[in-house]
Amino acid sequence: MSAAVAVIPEKPAPLGWQEKWTLRYAVMGLLFLALSGFEGILMRTQLLAPGALHGMEEILNHLRPGNPSTEELYYAMLTAHPVVGIYGFAYMCVMGAFYFLVPFLLKRPIRHPRLMVANFWLQAIGVMICWSAGFFGLFNSLYTLYWPLPVSYDRVPLAGSIAFVTGAAVIMVNILLFSYNIFSTVLSKSNPNRYRIGQFLRAAFGISRLMKWLGKEDREAPNLDYNGLPVFIVAVARGSIDTVINAVVLLTAGALILVYGLAALFRNPLNPLAIDPLVYKNWFWWGLDMVADGNVLMYTAGTWYLLIPLLVNRRLYGEAVVRTVIMVDLLVSMGVWSHHLLGDRAQPLAMRLLSGQFITWGEFITMGLTIFASLMTIWLARPVRFTPALRCILGSIFGFIMGGTAGLIQANVGLNLVLHNTQWVVALHAHTLLLTGLGMLLFAVIYTLVPMLTQREIRSGWLVQAHFWLWMIGSVTMAYGLGAAGTRGMLRRTLYLDGSYGPFLAVGWVGAVMVGLGFLAFLVNIVGTLGWHNLLSLVVPEPGPQERPLPAEA
Amino acid sequence: MDRAEKVWLGVLLSVALLANALTLSPLVPWQRWLLWSRPIPAKSYTIEVEGYQFRLPAQGIEVQAGEFVEFVVTSHDVTYGFGVFRPDGTMVFQMQVLPGYQNRIVWRFDEPGWYHIRSTEYSGPKHSSMWVPDAIHVLPAQEVAR
Repeated sequence: MSAAVAVIPEKPAPLGWQEKWTLRYAVMGLLFLALSGFEGILMRTQLLAPGALHGMEEILNHLRPGNPSTEELYYAMLTAHPVVGIYGFAYMCVMGAFYFLVPFLLKRPIRHPRLMVANFWLQAIGVMICWSAGFFGLFNSLYTLYWPLPVSYDRVPLAGSIAFVTGAAVIMVNILLFSYNIFSTVLSKSNPNRYRIGQFLRAAFGISRLMKWLGKEDREAPNLDYNGLPVFIVAVARGSIDTVINAVVLLTAGALILVYGLAALFRNPLNPLAIDPLVYKNWFWWGLDMVADGNVLMYTAGTWYLLIPLLVNRRLYGEAVVRTVIMVDLLVSMGVWSHHLLGDRAQPLAMRLLSGQFITWGEFITMGLTIFASLMTIWLARPVRFTPALRCILGSIFGFIMGGTAGLIQANVGLNLVLHNTQWVVALHAHTLLLTGLGMLLFAVIYTLVPMLTQREIRSGWLVQAHFWLWMIGSVTMAYGLGAAGTRGMLRRTLYLDGSYGPFLAVGWVGAVMVGLGFLAFLVNIVGTLGWHNLLSLVVPEPGPQERPLPAEA
Repeated sequence: MDRAEKVWLGVLLSVALLANALTLSPLVPWQRWLLWSRPIPAKSYTIEVEGYQFRLPAQGIEVQAGEFVEFVVTSHDVTYGFGVFRPDGTMVFQMQVLPGYQNRIVWRFDEPGWYHIRSTEYSGPKHSSMWVPDAIHVLPAQEVAR
């Protein structure tokens, strides 16, 4: 694999089928990042200078029904923004990267290559339906969908609600298809005894290891390190269990909202309070947190474990331990959701303490060990060359440390009382994890994969530097500016129309603009590296996957 | 597991134990009554929320600094938040207000003054307007003695 990075021929070969589709995923993901980022800057502007966007609103209102208020537009944008950012940008990039890396590392083609194409289109269509439900349909229930707001049609437009859950359903079904394809590729790995799904799950959750520890070895179980699969594949496989649970749970919530929507559409409305909002909230967050505190941690850990040894040319430090850590991460993710319900006094105290606080600290242990193994690998490989990808990996580790620490502070039964739903949560925790942590990680993957896929080196070192520092300083500045506003009582999910918290918002706005400029530098560099010929070739259809089924051949 | 990993794991576990012990202890002022002493409140106020409106008790909310007061907040339509803020805008405490539940919290105000109430959870496009200035009057403790 390192040879694939190092050897850059003078005249690169044209892109193959697999390479093109991987790049299409990356390009579409980056387009969604641009859209989500633009919305983010618009919302920051609106908070900083209420009324500043009235001119733009009036023009765009020609495209929308009725004459929506500034608040309706703001909250509709706030609803679409995370869906585009997470399911558009992050998932698109993750899907593209995994569709390349999993067969590459297994030395076996993806099991259902045409599903790779279907996944691309379904994901893009699903995200755009959700976005349109906000932009045109003014759906404004926010991504949290707290019951019964999404079915309270005096506050949320009925058509927008139906459109949003339809788009969300397309995304979730698509994620299930993607996970099926990844699982079936991993499980079909050649070995003397193929895995069965039950064996796979027993090994994934550590049941077979527990039985062995108790002296009751499960002889049917595959060996404990997934028959010697690369640690990245182990992380992808275990993380994808969370991905599946997340998709199934959100599908059920969406189906419920859809049933209420259709009943209202046919003038036979159902009673929203027939559903217990606390039970719904527990179910919803249990599933949603499989992303925030589940697969993202395992996917991130797996990607660090893959890229760092590759980039510093040294075996991963403590590989046996990190394999166990990934398993513990999966177990922790099953019970960690209640930190989102610490503000709910109706939630039993035992749940708030156990699932809300103590199990959340399990992530501190697992991520602490993960980061330790990653940094030790780099340390022991000294002297190392700070390539663009390695620089971004260090940036992502910094982001996870900073955002994770903020998360631990707010996931506390006592401290949550003054932090819940403030800008602290969304700025210092969520956006630091997503922009600084996950964003930098995905840039590291792109900086690694683009030379592998195109056999071209990243064009401008200067633009890499500009991208890295603008993005890092900008995202941290934004987080601190808005986080400081949060400690002074500024709420998230609230549009202040009186110009409150102006100085903090100004700092946050400057940070957001720096992030935007950093992204532009990245985009210019990537477009320059790919070249217009390659970029245009991405919109030209090709015969099919038969030409180059295995990316290793590239 | 080599020695460096064991040492690091020990550091992580120690930090986790220390942080949890400190933040659950009475060193965090409100943990004294929310977790440990569970006092019987001197007063209880019921607040209802519906249609983006807080319905406060007709006689107003007047408490004395240092005494325990209970807020029981119920919603008749969607989920709201019940947040109490100081005059400078900083938050004193908040809780979620789930419809169909009696959402309760006991608090002790230490500083006299007028406190605002704001919904801390999004409940629809008019959510930003859910702000009641000077909703809670906290009297100085010495006035009680007098």
